[in-house]
Amino acid sequence: MPAEDMGKLTYRMRLTFAVATVICVLMLAISPVKDFRAEWKKYKRSFVRFAQGRPDTKKLLADYSPNIDQVWIPGMNVVDRCTTCHQGMTQLSLADTSVPQPFRAHPPIPHNVREWGCTICHRGQGPATEIAEAHETTLAWEQPILPAHFLQASCGSCHHADLNETPQVTRGRELLSRLNCQACHKLNDLERPMLGPELSSVGYKVSREWIYKWLKEPRTVLDKDGNVTVNGYENGDESRMPKFRLKDEEIVALTAFLSAQKAKPLESYKINPAVVAAWSKKPDLLPQGELRFRQMMCSTCHPLAVTRAGETKLIGGDIGPELTKVGSKVNEPWLVTWLRNPQVYLAHNNMPRYGWTDEDLYKVSQYVMNQLTDSDLLSTVPKLEAATQDEIKNGKRLFLEKGCASCHSIAGVTPQKDFGPDLTALGAKNASELEFGKAKITHNLLSYIQAKLQDPVSVNPVSRMPQYTWNPADLDAVTTALLSQTGPKATSALQHLTVPKVEASYRAVGDFAEVYERYKCYACHRFNGYGGTLAPDLSFEGSRAQKKWIAEFLKNPQTIRPTLILRMPQFNMTDKEVNTVAEYLALAVQKPEVNPQSVDARQFTPALVSMGKQLYEVKYQCQSCHTIGGTGGYVGPNLNNAGNWLTPSWTEAWLRNPQSLQPDTIEPRRNFTEDEIRALTAYLMTLKAAIKPQTSTSAANARLAGQGAGR
Amino acid sequence: MKSRILLAAPLLFAAFGLSACKKSAEPVKPVEAFGAYDTEADWNDSTKLVNLGYQEAQGKRIFYQYCVWCHADATPAGPSNRSNLTPVPPLLNDGDKLNGESDEFMRNIITLGGSALGKSAMMPPYGKTLSAGEIQAVIAFTRAIAQPPYQKPGRPGSQYTAK
Repeated sequence: MPAEDMGKLTYRMRLTFAVATVICVLMLAISPVKDFRAEWKKYKRSFVRFAQGRPDTKKLLADYSPNIDQVWIPGMNVVDRCTTCHQGMTQLSLADTSVPQPFRAHPPIPHNVREWGCTICHRGQGPATEIAEAHETTLAWEQPILPAHFLQASCGSCHHADLNETPQVTRGRELLSRLNCQACHKLNDLERPMLGPELSSVGYKVSREWIYKWLKEPRTVLDKDGNVTVNGYENGDESRMPKFRLKDEEIVALTAFLSAQKAKPLESYKINPAVVAAWSKKPDLLPQGELRFRQMMCSTCHPLAVTRAGETKLIGGDIGPELTKVGSKVNEPWLVTWLRNPQVYLAHNNMPRYGWTDEDLYKVSQYVMNQLTDSDLLSTVPKLEAATQDEIKNGKRLFLEKGCASCHSIAGVTPQKDFGPDLTALGAKNASELEFGKAKITHNLLSYIQAKLQDPVSVNPVSRMPQYTWNPADLDAVTTALLSQTGPKATSALQHLTVPKVEASYRAVGDFAEVYERYKCYACHRFNGYGGTLAPDLSFEGSRAQKKWIAEFLKNPQTIRPTLILRMPQFNMTDKEVNTVAEYLALAVQKPEVNPQSVDARQFTPALVSMGKQLYEVKYQCQSCHTIGGTGGYVGPNLNNAGNWLTPSWTEAWLRNPQSLQPDTIEPRRNFTEDEIRALTAYLMTLKAAIKPQTSTSAANARLAGQGAGR
Repeated sequence: MKSRILLAAPLLFAAFGLSACKKSAEPVKPVEAFGAYDTEADWNDSTKLVNLGYQEAQGKRIFYQYCVWCHADATPAGPSNRSNLTPVPPLLNDGDKLNGESDEFMRNIITLGGSALGKSAMMPPYGKTLSAGEIQAVIAFTRAIAQPPYQKPGRPGSQYTAK
């Protein structure tokens, strides 16, 4: 460039600057245009138009601003801009389902949305301002919104104690515990492991052929089409043993190993030969056995399959194993020994030790061995030769490798620690942390959990996890419970919000402890939060029931709730045991506020009684739920024997406020005056008609046939 | 020389800006399995995402604990107590009987019991057992399951959509 031209602008240069300026201006315009066309702004404007079409426009637009709205809670890592589009969130008038989303009001929940934000429960991306980024999985943000159907998982991630409001997560936790998932996986807050039966001496109990069948297909009850159904049952009960994907030679090796397990010789019990000789000839041996089986209420814990109108159902409780074909499973000496004293075979189990007479033992064992059978059960099992040492060795290796040892203990076999992956933080995992294999499913956590539960090899061909059979509701419940396992929270503020699970403990003491353990009271009854939930909670039984009644009930348990088919078994307790239990319950388990001595039944005058009867029958019509004599409803307990059963002070306290004594009782709290309470108690204390013991076969049959398997 | 650099800088800038303007290349996959936020129609279809809202679901739970014994023909524990009672209590989903009753009436009969409203004394009061919110939840559940379906009184809902 010549020196004189320096500092002068050429035409070419001017043009260059002009073009560059225009480009710069255009570029700068991109951002405002993009911003103006932002998705959320459309909803902002749309909400104004929507509100103008409603009668309460002013109220709806009171808080309106054209900017991004957000809930910002620094201590909880919450920056939720959801309210930018979901603008009607707290507007009561928009609660109707006819209001289009995203403007509908949030349904009332126990937490204030403004104090908790949205993503704590719904997941998704709080700071996002586009629909897709907020709700769905994108490359940058991997937590999609949790479908409403699984929302209870979020409740469960803070509320480790079970809530009434979240039945799905409670059921899921129950299943995780019941199916013993924590034997292989680490999980938060699950009950202590409830292991599968110990197999140290299983060789004395079942045949090698039966083990083969069991490993091949653990479910033995078929429906009318010959299919294995476990889901269609009314009580939804299913075998706890899952199906392992075993090859035939693996099954052969395992059966060889298991049938060789005879650690503790079985000291079999011999029934008095005179009893056997007397009964074995009688033609009504088996019907008599069945009658005793029913009278002892074995069905309270053990279900039996019943086929009625072409539909197969399991009827009975779910505490013990299903017994429909047990006669084809166990051998007679083992059965007799087991029934008489289950601890001879297994030190720890839930079966009570009944007080058997030899006669009953013979009748019931004959019934079980001859009637509860299926001659075809083992027909598909191939001929198994005597086990070789190689097979046994192989079987032991497989027993460990396949994870059998995680649930079943065998003397001398040490299970592998942490057999399955740790699941305590599964619910917080991002899609990139999961293995999807070749599965054709959406790549997110929810689909992964469901696919894994339904078919473990679909996402991981070398998975060792066995195959479970789920009905859709249970599958969703378990998924919800797993989604709630979000591990320890990152921030201390959130940790503080966690509601811990309260561990209940109860220890029986003195002579009672022995009876308690012998009859496994805790399998059905609950004491101070510890124990089963099948039967009434006995934490305050001493305040509720009269001692004499308790003693009589233990000798001859009669149901006070006529619609129940699951009842207290008849244990044939000795008088000494009965006294021990009655003494203990009457004195040691009381509600401090209800002193049985505080109300004296002798002060009740006939006038008071007749007033109580009037109140019962006319003013409050208690007969809609309670039965007295032959009439009345059967929602509440039968009151025929209330005068012998309940203590007057408990009755008064109950009428005053039933929920204070039993929080989940359905009897509503009424507005009784103190005089009315006194009169009703006086009347109830005059009801003293003991229920006759039920002994006939037809009555037991009718009861079993007439009702479903409800509780 | 300098002018070339000057020219190149805004051009690079422009190219950068234009590329940023393009939508992110990876298309977002919708969650098909659970019919999540696919289309606007889905958002407005309450049955597609969840059959019962939170309140209705709580109402259902309370119904199955307290009411089912007399207001249904089958209960979780077997036979119902309904046939035992005269007058026979209405089934909870009986729209013909209950749709005509206002929310206020429903709230009162649950809270105060039948006798306070001149109906059968066999319906006990639940005002001291259930909270106002729980009672409202039961009513919401009743409305949700009514057959024929329940129509809210007043003018029909706006046909306005969000877009």
